[in-house]
Amino acid sequence: MNEELQLKLQAYCDGELAGHNAGEVEAWLAKDPDARALLAELQNTRAALRQFGDDLTLPAPRDFYWSKIQREIRRQENRRTDELPVPWLAALRRFLMPAGAVAAALLGVFLVGEQLRQNDPSRAADMEVAFSDSDTFTYRDFSSGTTLVWLSYPAEIEFAEPDPGDILD
Amino acid sequence: MKLTISRGLQARCVASALAFFALAGLAVQAAELKYEARLIWATNDKKSPDSKHKEVDPEIRKKLDTLNLKWANYFEVHRKQFSLAKGAVEKVAMSDKCSIEVRDVDGKKVEVSLIGKGEQVWKGTKLLPKGDILVLGGNAPNSTAWLVTLKRVE
Amino acid sequence: MSESANSSASDEALVQAARGGDMTAFEEIVARHRDKIYARAYTMMRNEEDAVDLSQEAWVKAWQRLSQFQGESSVATWVTRIVINLCLDQLRRQKRHRAESIEEMNEESGGVERQMPAVEVNPTERLERAELRERIDQALAQLTYAHRTVLVLHEFQGMEYKEIARTMDCSIGTVMSRLFYARRKMAVLLADLKSENEADAK
Repeated sequence: MNEELQLKLQAYCDGELAGHNAGEVEAWLAKDPDARALLAELQNTRAALRQFGDDLTLPAPRDFYWSKIQREIRRQENRRTDELPVPWLAALRRFLMPAGAVAAALLGVFLVGEQLRQNDPSRAADMEVAFSDSDTFTYRDFSSGTTLVWLSYPAEIEFAEPDPGDILD
Repeated sequence: MKLTISRGLQARCVASALAFFALAGLAVQAAELKYEARLIWATNDKKSPDSKHKEVDPEIRKKLDTLNLKWANYFEVHRKQFSLAKGAVEKVAMSDKCSIEVRDVDGKKVEVSLIGKGEQVWKGTKLLPKGDILVLGGNAPNSTAWLVTLKRVE
Repeated sequence: MSESANSSASDEALVQAARGGDMTAFEEIVARHRDKIYARAYTMMRNEEDAVDLSQEAWVKAWQRLSQFQGESSVATWVTRIVINLCLDQLRRQKRHRAESIEEMNEESGGVERQMPAVEVNPTERLERAELRERIDQALAQLTYAHRTVLVLHEFQGMEYKEIARTMDCSIGTVMSRLFYARRKMAVLLADLKSENEADAK
């Protein structure tokens, strides 16, 4: 029995063989006892594995396991907030995050009120802040036509000059 | 019947043809928009360690100041101008690890992709009229930041 | 949501509440499905400490990505995919530091198991569930990470060949070869374990 036939038999066993190929394997099974034995072996091994399944219990008490997850979530949220480029935006994000809808929205757009008025009342209505997923936010100043998109792209970016002829294909 | 064309008419035809091609050339140029992309380093340091990096020009400085970012100084690392015909795409290297790909969507909007280390990091579509500027940014080591700016110059 | 309300709420309702920032709702989701996520990590990593760490990391990522979960699968399946990817990343990192064994090289070209006649295996025969689990556990531990992974993804995660190929970043042909080899190896190991036990019993 060559390798190609063996793999076809496996695909047949897994329901991954389409149309006439399945018919071909069935015809082969009908006349070859070795093929039938191999199929039985594959099926039995599969049955044994599926019985094994996910029957394992976490070897740690619930509270202990959860407290580490909770601590890490909070630590990462604080780090992300600290990395924001505008100090008042960090406070705004803390204000908005518990509301949840911001983090969940595909692109929520907020006209920023009080927070901005405290900085520059005349410009409050010109600004637009949007938090998309937890890794990006967009900030637009309409009066100057400037849009900032802040990314959590890794900070190891290097500032070496590109090669000459830098229009890439 | 023999058709004859006077010299005067010939001269007028040639002149018209030349004018037509000149205008057509201008029309082709007008369909291409010019953009400028810059890579900028934002820092509170007074100087960049690389003497080739100069402070950004006042126009860009003024735009960046409207963002109220936490850095005091901006140094230009790289600048590139390029033209984009309607529907065309241009990939521009900003550093040896970072490039942007700019696609003209409909002669007004651009689709911008930021590519870092060969992978797309961000993509967005933006109306970018002349005078507006798109700034993509992220943190860099030692509490500094990188900024990639894109604006239409004509 | 109060704790008592959480314990009777559906997974969908808990996900909705967690999206709104309700950490206690998320805690309930974790409590309900932590064993399953841990089990998947353990089956892949074969190491309790790694499995606990990676399963916790998966939960943290799940919290961060709740907005991306559209309900196309159950929340348990979704988090399982996250932990599988974390395990694969970890295994790849470990593989880089580990010299390729002769067995690993042999596997790719097809080991002796490929040529063996079919083994009469009925490993569930007269076995207690715990004993079967232990046998399979021992047998899985003897596979290389690549073969164990493809077996876990196919048999436990129910993924199709092309999905496994995408996840493991290899061709469908490679998936099929590895799966076949892994299954045949498991059959031989289970049969060997059975005959060892029978010999010991005598």
